[in-house]
Amino acid sequence: MKIEDSFDVAAPRERVWKLITDPDTVAGCVPGCDGIEVVSDTLYRARVSVKVGPIKASFNMEVELTGETPPEEVRSKSRGEEGSRASTVSSENLLRLEEIDAGNTRVFYHAEVSVVGRLGKFGLGVMKKKAESLGRDFAACFKEKAELAETSA
Amino acid sequence: MNDATEFLRPRSIDEAVAMLAAHEDARPLAGGATLVAMLNAGLIEPDAIVSLSGIEELRGIQAQENGGLRIGAMTRHAETAASALFRDGQQVVPHAAGQIANMPVRNMGTMGGSISFADPAIDYPPALTAAGAEIEIAGPGGTRRVPCGEFFLDWYTTALEPGELVAAIHVPPAPAGSVGHYEKLARVSGDYAIVSVALVLAMDGGLCSAAQIAVGACGPVPIRLAAAEEALVGSSLDAETLAWGGAMLAEASDPVDDVRGSADYRRRVIPRLLAKAVAAARAKMIEEAA
Repeated sequence: MKIEDSFDVAAPRERVWKLITDPDTVAGCVPGCDGIEVVSDTLYRARVSVKVGPIKASFNMEVELTGETPPEEVRSKSRGEEGSRASTVSSENLLRLEEIDAGNTRVFYHAEVSVVGRLGKFGLGVMKKKAESLGRDFAACFKEKAELAETSA
Repeated sequence: MNDATEFLRPRSIDEAVAMLAAHEDARPLAGGATLVAMLNAGLIEPDAIVSLSGIEELRGIQAQENGGLRIGAMTRHAETAASALFRDGQQVVPHAAGQIANMPVRNMGTMGGSISFADPAIDYPPALTAAGAEIEIAGPGGTRRVPCGEFFLDWYTTALEPGELVAAIHVPPAPAGSVGHYEKLARVSGDYAIVSVALVLAMDGGLCSAAQIAVGACGPVPIRLAAAEEALVGSSLDAETLAWGGAMLAEASDPVDDVRGSADYRRRVIPRLLAKAVAAARAKMIEEAA
C-alpha cells in the first residue's frame, strides 16, 4: 500500500534537514517507538509498537539509508519482524524537503509499504488509515520540535 | 490463544468486571462470532477470557414504560431480528440485525459483542446511531450511559476502558408514526457492507416531519449529520433535496479503499443509497397505512 502526505514546518530548510536526519529527533516523534540504536551512519535499529483496536503488534525495525541529497532528499528502506510471529512489514521510503521561503519548509513523504503474515489478514484498508493517522501524529510532533528549535536558536 | 490463557465464567456483571480488572489483558467473550475467529487467526492473545454466557442479567429485551427498549448485551442477532417489541422507527435495529452475515452467525453473535469490536463495516453501529441509542457500560466504578456518538470513537475503538463491558443498549422511543429502514449495499448477501444507510423517517401531510440518518462503513465511526437531517425535514423528500443531503453525508465521510470498493466509489454510492433507503422507507409507510 502507498502512504503519502506532506506537512509544512515554520523553519528554514537547512534546520529541518538537520533535524529530520537526526535519528534521536525522528525516533522521538515516531508514535510507539521506544528508542533507536545507531548501528552505523546508514543503519538504524528501533522497536516500534502499534495498536489497532484489540490487536497489538511490536516490530523490531531495521532502517537503512539508501541515498541522500542534502538538503533535499533522503531515501531509505525499512524492514520489521514481529518477534516469533512471522509477520513482516517492509517499506521503501522517500522524504523530500522543499523550500517554501527562507523560513518555511514543506516536507513530502512517500512510502510503499507491504505487510505479510498474521497482520496481512486484517485488511489493508484500515491499516492504511492507521498509517495515515500515525503520519499525522509524527508531523505534529516534528513540527513542534523544529519550530521550538527555531525560536530558541 | 495459548496455554497460559485462563478461561473464566463469572455469574454476575460485578464478578465479570472484577475479573476483567484483575487481568492486564483480559477479553470478555460474548457470542464469540468475531473473538474466536481472531483467536484462531492469532490476531489477539489475551491472558484471560471472561465468558459472559452465564450472566443472566445480560440477556433479553425489555420494553420500558416510556416506550424505550433495554436490550441486554448478550442478546443474539437472531433474537433481535425476530423481536416484536420494536415499534415505529425503532425497527431500524431489527431490520439491520436480520441482515448481519448469515443464520449461524446471527444465532451466535450478540449486540454487545458486535458493538464492542466496532468494526466500521458492521451493521449495528449505523442502525443504533440512527435510532439514537445509548450504550450502558458497566465498570469498576459502576455503570454509565453514553450516546453512540461518544461510544464509537475510531476504527475498532470504543469508549470502553480496560475493565469495562457493555451491559445493555437503550433504544429510545421513535417519533410517532415513523418507520425504520436499514439499506445495505454488499457484494453478496451476508457480506460486510460496502456502504449502509440506517434511517428513521416520518412524514406528515406529504412533508418529512422527522429524519434520523446514519451512514455506515464509510469512516471510522457511523456518520450522523444534523445539517443533512435538517435539510430533509420539512421537504417533500424530492430527488434534489435527497441529493443535497446525500452530498453532505458523502462530504463528511472518510472511507477506506479495500477489496469491497474504493473510497471514491463509496462516496458516490452514499447519496444513491440514501435515496434508495428513503424510497424503501416511504413504501413501508404506505404499506402500514393500508
